Amino acid sequence: MPTVRLRDASEYPEPARRLFELSRQWFAYDFKEPPAMSRVMAWDPQFGGPHGRAMKRAMAPGEFSRGEKEMVAAAVSGANACTY
Amino acid sequence: MTGDDRWYEAAFVVGITNALNVVADGLAATLPPPAPASVDPEAAAVFADARAFYGLPAGDVPTPFAVLARDPGYLTDLWAAVKRAFEERRLTRRHKEALAFAVSLTTRSPFGTGFHLAQLRRLGVGERGLMEIVGVTQMFSSYTKIADTLQLTSDMADIAPVDTSGVPDAAMP
Repeated sequence: MPTVRLRDASEYPEPARRLFELSRQWFAYDFKEPPAMSRVMAWDPQFGGPHGRAMKRAMAPGEFSRGEKEMVAAAVSGANACTY
Repeated sequence: MTGDDRWYEAAFVVGITNALNVVADGLAATLPPPAPASVDPEAAAVFADARAFYGLPAGDVPTPFAVLARDPGYLTDLWAAVKRAFEERRLTRRHKEALAFAVSLTTRSPFGTGFHLAQLRRLGVGERGLMEIVGVTQMFSSYTKIADTLQLTSDMADIAPVDTSGVPDAAMP
């Protein structure tokens, strides 16, 4: 059970909801509600915005493909014993 | 990146990398490698194969293998597993080294971080590619701790496509 009650997308102000559209485009998947981490990051757009941009910059195709990087991210999450 | 076979390969790389790092970082100082002159021929053969696999100069032996030379039979089996895990198959060798580097960095392994960084460079990964892996490692070390602090449950588990690739090489040697 999460430590906080994650708000539904409709409870966020309009500027924060724009982050959810970016999230939907990033995952190319129609979630019933935006992913939990997207809603967490939207709680403080001044943190979530630059954090998300840094993530997208890191995950963008370069010397390694997006797919290769997603697998590295999964391995790092596993090493951090994170099930999310 | 669909197909479970790639994920099995990745998992084996992550697991065996952690195993090597545990010995190199945790044991080498208290149980140093045997002197070169006393190394068993079976262990020496592993050293030679490892040098060829990693492109190392003569006389250079990665720390975990040097430590494990105390038990040549065990070393031989372990090396076979390491080599199999890191061989280029569905995942490229450089991708596997990137996985090993990221996991070593995440688990704060001085040996693994340095070793796999050197391997990435040997395999032609430039500073940009290196920083890409550092960025992914750092970002997901952030996301994971935020998720853990808030005890979030995954909402990604059900969106992976069904794998139809089957189980390759199912027969055990």
